[in-house]
Amino acid sequence: MATAPYLEFDGVAKYFGDLEVVAPSFDLTIQRNEFVVFLGPSGSGKTTLMRMVGGLETPTYGEIRLDGQPIGEPDRERGMVFQSYSSFPWLTVAENVAYGMKYRLDLTPERKKARLDHYLKLVGLTDFADFYPNKVSGGMRQRIAIARTLAAGSEVLLMDEPFGALDAQRREGLQIALRRIHRQDAKTIIFVTHDVDEAVFLADRIIVFSKRPARMLEDVDISAELGPERTLELRDSEAFFKLRTRILKLVRAATGEEEKV
Amino acid sequence: MSTSKAILSTAAGGSAGNAASKPRSHPRKRTRNQFFAFRGTLSKRAQIITAAFASLFVLGLWEISTRLGWINAVFLPPPTVTIETLWNMILHKNLLWHAGVSTLRIWVAFSLSVIMAVPIGIAMSSFRGVGAALEPIVDFIRYLPVPALVPLSIIWFGVGETTKIFLLWLGTFFQLVLLVADDMRRVPQEYVEISYTVGARPAQMLSDVAFRAMLPSLFDNLRITLGWCWTYLIIAEIVAADNGLGFVIWAARRYMNTSEVMAGVVTIGLIGLVTDQVLRLLHKRLFRYL
Ligand SMILES: Nc1ncnc2c1ncn2[C@@H]1O[C@H](COP(=O)(O)OP(=O)(O)OP(=O)(O)O)[C@@H](O)[C@H]1O
Ligand SMILES: [Mg+2]
Repeated sequence: MATAPYLEFDGVAKYFGDLEVVAPSFDLTIQRNEFVVFLGPSGSGKTTLMRMVGGLETPTYGEIRLDGQPIGEPDRERGMVFQSYSSFPWLTVAENVAYGMKYRLDLTPERKKARLDHYLKLVGLTDFADFYPNKVSGGMRQRIAIARTLAAGSEVLLMDEPFGALDAQRREGLQIALRRIHRQDAKTIIFVTHDVDEAVFLADRIIVFSKRPARMLEDVDISAELGPERTLELRDSEAFFKLRTRILKLVRAATGEEEKV
Repeated sequence: MSTSKAILSTAAGGSAGNAASKPRSHPRKRTRNQFFAFRGTLSKRAQIITAAFASLFVLGLWEISTRLGWINAVFLPPPTVTIETLWNMILHKNLLWHAGVSTLRIWVAFSLSVIMAVPIGIAMSSFRGVGAALEPIVDFIRYLPVPALVPLSIIWFGVGETTKIFLLWLGTFFQLVLLVADDMRRVPQEYVEISYTVGARPAQMLSDVAFRAMLPSLFDNLRITLGWCWTYLIIAEIVAADNGLGFVIWAARRYMNTSEVMAGVVTIGLIGLVTDQVLRLLHKRLFRYL
């Protein structure tokens, strides 16, 4: 893996008025093609950090750089996948995915069509192309959002609890799909979740946050222990179980006494 | 347990209209009607029958109470007489023409309101500066009762068409602006951000996403405000007109011709009913995805 820094948080701090959300000074360097999971107590500032990468908030202090360039306005280079309202109800599945390319002038209509078909297939939605989002499952709606950001050509995927509202069965399917997409399409992903199991399964690297204001408590290299390949069998392995327990303890410590019961 | 099953089965029955969700083939569609269950479901047929019965009941009661002399027919002519008068007025008194004039006034004034209110309302909730500047003004005028401004508008515009259009516009524009602003405010922030993060410029985001997202609720609000127009129209036509339904009603009053008054009122009700049903149908057609 190349070691040139790709996404850098450099001395970042964030305040909403008097509310300190990200404590100074937050430093983090993410490599290209890394899958980083943010894990931490509710309200700690994970979403805020991610939104700053998206250009939807600006750091009060410090700077975030992508490929050496300071991050400015939102851009299709950095795509967002939200937990809810993640697709437009008035567009069909295919139209939603194609919306990712709507403002791209560098693609011919034929190229767009080819990309649309490719990404629909990649997320397994080809058969549902003409359905409206309210006629497909919640899991499929999240797939729409993922395909849209990929079609847009985003290099960085910012995913804020994208599977939070789904049942365990669906989550597992999507996790495997996402991990496969990550390897196949070589994207850099920041993924926020509350689910330790999900975090360990998906991540190359887990950042554990403190309570608000957000501070990095631990930076755990998951790939060093589990390798890049994630399968269902891995989930039942002892290595996975041990790692999960370790992370769980970290999160409990971060969350504090009240939730130890 | 059994009740929840019943709810499930009726819910399935209710949505069986969509061809996609009809895999099972029951010999007969089973729909248990839930007249008095909170948010219960009722089959389309049961709803129509209920509506017809309720209407007939009211009409019947009205007819009987005037026929039996409980109510003086001079004050409240029975439905049969009203309908007869209505028919005679269509044949001999140009009722349809008057109705047409009124409807035209409403559409002209209402279109004017909409054309102005939609962009201004959107601007008010999209740009804090515009909102801050206009909200107090709009809020002030919104609370002025339209009838209170009739004398002023006659002084300003005389008794011609301008006064009527102005009064109708006054009654709807300021309400509509705030409703539109609210519709825009309720567009989920996520939609806006999705749009920006695939590379839309603000104008593209507004037209392709925010406006599109608010359309169903905007349509609903237009449908509702259109109904209010009739209130202001009648006021305007009573005060200053020699045609239109308000004029017809007011002229009939002078001769205590209550059946003609009733016929005029019923005409307004019918126009309202038909317009509303057409717009509802259109809403269903336009926003199938909901
Ligand atoms: N635009 C804003 N204005 C003011 N306060 C905000 C704003 N956005 C977030 N906050 C506050 O900042 C804190 C951190 O919020 P954030 O959403 O980043 O936390 P989070 O770690 O994502 O939490 P969760 O796990 O519950 O999603 C919260 O207390 C929140 O109320
Ligand atoms: Mg969050």
